[in-house]
This record gives sequence, C-alpha cells and structure tokens, in this order.
Amino acid sequence: MISRDRYRAKFRALKEAKRGAFMPFTVLGWPDEETSFNIIKTMIESDASALELGIAFSDPVADGPIIQAAAHKVIESGYTVNQALDLVARVRKYNDDIPIGLLVYYNHIMAMGVEKFFARAEECGVDGVLVADLPAESSDEVVSIATGNNISSIFIVSPLTREERLDKIVKHARGFIYLVSRLGVTGTDERDASRDTRLTALIASIKKATELPVLAGFGISTPAHAERMMASGADGVITGSKIVDLVAKADPTNMEAELSAYLKSMVSALNSVKV
Amino acid sequence: MRTLGKFGKYGGVYVPETLMPALEELEEAFATIVPGDEFKSRLSSLLADFAGRPTPLYHAKNLSDKWGAQVFLKREDLLHGGAHKTNNALGQALLCKMMGKERVIAETGAGQHGVACAMAGALLGLQTEVYMGEVDMERQKPNVFRMQLLGTTVHPVKTGSKTLKDAINEALRDWIANLENTHYLLGTVAGPHPFPSMVKHFQKIIGEEASAQIQEKIGRAPDYVVACVGGGSNAMGIFAEFVEQTSVKLVGVEPAGAGLETGKHGAVLALGSFGCVHGMKSLVLQTEEGQIQEAHSISAGLDYPSVGPEHAFLKDTGRARYESATDQEALAAFHELCREEGIIPALESSHALVGAKKLAQGEAAGKTIIVNLSGRGDKDLHEVMKHDK
Repeated sequence: MISRDRYRAKFRALKEAKRGAFMPFTVLGWPDEETSFNIIKTMIESDASALELGIAFSDPVADGPIIQAAAHKVIESGYTVNQALDLVARVRKYNDDIPIGLLVYYNHIMAMGVEKFFARAEECGVDGVLVADLPAESSDEVVSIATGNNISSIFIVSPLTREERLDKIVKHARGFIYLVSRLGVTGTDERDASRDTRLTALIASIKKATELPVLAGFGISTPAHAERMMASGADGVITGSKIVDLVAKADPTNMEAELSAYLKSMVSALNSVKV
Repeated sequence: MRTLGKFGKYGGVYVPETLMPALEELEEAFATIVPGDEFKSRLSSLLADFAGRPTPLYHAKNLSDKWGAQVFLKREDLLHGGAHKTNNALGQALLCKMMGKERVIAETGAGQHGVACAMAGALLGLQTEVYMGEVDMERQKPNVFRMQLLGTTVHPVKTGSKTLKDAINEALRDWIANLENTHYLLGTVAGPHPFPSMVKHFQKIIGEEASAQIQEKIGRAPDYVVACVGGGSNAMGIFAEFVEQTSVKLVGVEPAGAGLETGKHGAVLALGSFGCVHGMKSLVLQTEEGQIQEAHSISAGLDYPSVGPEHAFLKDTGRARYESATDQEALAAFHELCREEGIIPALESSHALVGAKKLAQGEAAGKTIIVNLSGRGDKDLHEVMKHDK
C-alpha cells in the first residue's frame, strides 16, 4: 500500500465532481530551468488534475519529433537528471496536493541504481513513475522497489494489447492506466476519428480488468479530442507534444498567458462532459 | 513471450508497450515458421543460387608468410551484395513475406545492411524503406544510390548524432506506428529479443561453413577465429559454431577510432558500462547519468555505442575476448590486404585483420587463424582516398 496516495485522492474527487482528469506533460528543464518551472506552475494554476514530467533522454524511442527535440535541447544545455529531480522537489514544495508522475527511460534508472532512483524520487515528492521502455514482462525489476518507496508504477496499454497481456499489466499497475490512444509515438498529427470510436471497446475491457482510472494520451491535442476520449469512456486525457509545441512557438513575453488559455480550454472541455 | 531472450544479465525485452505485440508476433513466427521445411528449403535455395553460398575459405599464403601464422579468410566479401549482411536480410525478408507483411523497414550505418535489405526487398516484392543517418549518407554515398536503384526509399535521419543509433530510433518509431503491416528488419545481433537470437540464427551459416571447410583443408579445428565487432553480427555468425569447440580461441576486434584514450572510439566491450538502449540490456557507451554517447570510427559499420548482448555475455564468461584496432591500424591493414592478396576489404573487416596480425606476430605465431572477411571495400574507396591524400 502507498501511504499517501495523491492519485487516488485526486481521481476520487474528480469522480465525485463528475469531471474528467487533465494531465499535461512537459520535459523537465526545457527550455531552461526557470521557464520550465513557470510552465509547470501555469499548469497547476490552470487547474490541471495531475502532472506528467519527463526526464530528457538521448534516445527516446517512444517519443515523436517534438518531445525528442526538446529532450535533446535539454541535454545539450548540460542539464542533468539530478537537476531535473531537484526541479520536481521545487514543484512539490510549491504545491503539496497535485499528483506528480515522472516519465523516464530505463537507462536513467539503471545508471543511478534502481533503489537509489526510487528513494530519490520519493524524497522529491514523486507519486508515480512510468518507465517508457519497461514492459510488464520486465517490470519485476522495479515494481516492488517503487512500491517500497510509496511510488505507483504506471503502465501503458495500447490498442494492440491483447487480453492476456492486459491481465499481466493490471497486476502491476497502480495510480492510473496510460492508454495509448493511437498507434505510433507521441505527437500532434491528425487523429483518425473512426479509430477513436473503436477505443470504446478497449476502454471497456480495461475497466473490466481494473478499477484504476484510464487516461488517454498520444495525439490528444484539442478540446475536441478530449471530448471524444471522454465519450469513449476514458476518465481523462494526457497532453504533451501540443504543450511543448505551443511553448516553443509562443512569443516569450506572452507564453504563460497563451499556455494558460490553452490549458483552460482543455480543462473546461473535460469539465463539460459528464463522467 | 515464450522467453525474454536473456544472455546472463544481458539481452531481454526493454521496449514501449506499443511494440510488444509486434515482438510477440515475431517471436512466434521465428519459432514456428523458420524451423519449417518450406522456409528452410526456400532460404537455402536463395542463399545458394541468389546469394552465392557457400563462400570460400581462402588460405592467404602471402599474408601467412609475411605474418608468420596460417591465415585463412572466410570470404563473406564475395557474397552477393558484398557483405555478410545478405544472409540475415534474405532470412528476415523471407520470414516477413511468409508472415504476410508487405512492407519492410531497416536501419543502416555503412549502408551494407540497407543494400542487403533493398536486394531482398526487390527480389521478394516487399515495399522497402531504410533509415540512414545524414552523416552516414554522406560517408557512404554509393550505397545510398545502390539502395535507390533497387527501388528502396532512403529516409535521412537528422536527429541526435545522425548516425546508426539514431537510424535505429527512427526505425523503431516507424515500426511502432505501422506494426500491423510492417516488419522491422534489424541488421545486427542487438535490439530486443528475438532479434539477437534471430539474427544469429541467420548468420551462423558463416561459422558452420568455415568449420567444415577448415576440417577439409587441414583436418582439424583452427586455433583462432577473429572477427570485427560493431553490433556484432558477423562475429556472432562465425563464433556461434565454434563456441562449443573449446580449443578454438574467439577474438572480436572493436573500433578504437582515434585511440581508446581520446574518447573518440566505439570500443563498447572495452570501455562501455552496463545499461539499456534500443530494447536490450548490454554494455553501452554512456555518461555517468545514462545519456547514450556517440561512437566514433572510420568505419560507419562499426560506429555503434552499444553491442549485441551475447558478446557482452561471452566477454564476461571469458569464452571470447575482445581487442581493438584504431582507424590508422585499420587503414594500414586495408592497404596490406590489397597489396599482398589482391583483395580490397571493407574497413570494418580491416579491423579484424589488425587483430589477426597482432596475434600472428605474438601468441599465435605459427598457429591457424580464421579471419571473417565480412565485406568488400568498394564502398570505402572514397573514405580511404580522403585519408591517403
């Protein structure tokens, strides 16, 4: 059991208020530490339900071009994994209630040592860790250590995940299920609406296997996408590439206002749908 | 999956969930289609009639006299396409065809694997697309043109180091998005299970032939088998048959680039540390906090910051040992083979020649050494001319 389960508390509150969850993502330290902190602060102030924060990796195979470019920029700037974790601690100090998830690649955990990584993550106020390249088969190496440090192991389910794999995944999963809502990597490419409707059956089968909330990510960038995911039965959405793209293209003097307007449009779309 | 494909603590399956269904499907096909009679007979006739197997085992008498050991060259340079890569490309392309997929994608460094895939794709009617780092496209222009002639689309990779490691990332991303109709034809004994075992399976014919051929020529096993190691497919291909023959010493030769002390090298087995990249655990060139570093070598085909997991395992168990050769040493060996034997070797294979020469002039004086001459050097002429100026 996890001693202070911020995910559980937040998802319960959302359910009672009949609201969908909005989980924005950004890369820690991008484009620089101060701006990164301001982006995250804007997310919290725009009423994000939870945060998903990525540690920049040199070879992020699950990510598309937008997040990859941001990650490479962070690495080139000399920003370290330890600095990224310190930034998480700073965010936790700023807000003690919002659930914080980390998106990491396994090599960073191995480099620090599994035990040390999760101990450090707990110290920094992390609630959940999704290891992008650690499928359920190989996850025994970290799940018990994560749980021992009060950290939920987050797992991905994709449209091609078959039932016996789903059983394996939900056995380890805590916090929420990260539903990859379309094949491919992260990004803002056009969505195929007919495929979205087929997600309904998948979400129903996940819900049969677990009580955890299902959040849809990958290619979710507009309020309309969010509404479609909710209509398919999801409990909320995760948006990453769109945020990184928006910040990259925004006029720096006006970035926080633009970002805030976008985040609020997503939150309001998720609030207007009855869960 | 049936197994996780571990070699001691190395190997395994470390990929995003989105890729798991494709790996499960591939493992199943490898376990059921590949051992079947239809697959075996189609592949063996392709290897014989299309690719030109068996390749000769050639006693290089001039080099033997000069170096003071009996040097035999396993002539994979004579295989169709000019390198051992054709063995694996034909095997996987045929598997792809029999799995009912119509599209193959591949990564390539030197371009040899890309060319092999392009040939196999043209032959078997598969839509073929190859990811190649922009830097490598510049270094290996003739191979880019060869792929295009064979009807393959070459996608330039402009991210990261713009070399092999980034080409693998892009190919994996493509596969994640298109796994329903696409097979990823990985070119080396690396990546997630089942690739290290499957690529070894398709390359082990090199060692099987060499073992029979040396028996025929000298009536016994060789004392040494030497091969270059980037990802490690030609080395694993020739080592596999000899691993059980414990009297045979197995020596891999890694690229030392500008020198091990300069940081500009690809000597992963010598200087890498335990890590996880491209779907496997292996030795990796990385920073202390786990960012993957770039490898450096004159030879694009050895320019890879990790290595097949079974090599890391063979190193740990002591069954194989791994030496290294610098760019300059490889160039010298390249010229030596041209002049002494009338064979223009690939710069990759030139690293193996350096290893063999050092052995012949040291502990292996008078002994029998098989060198895997994994490819021919036509693709490297431009690079060599640049250094000869």
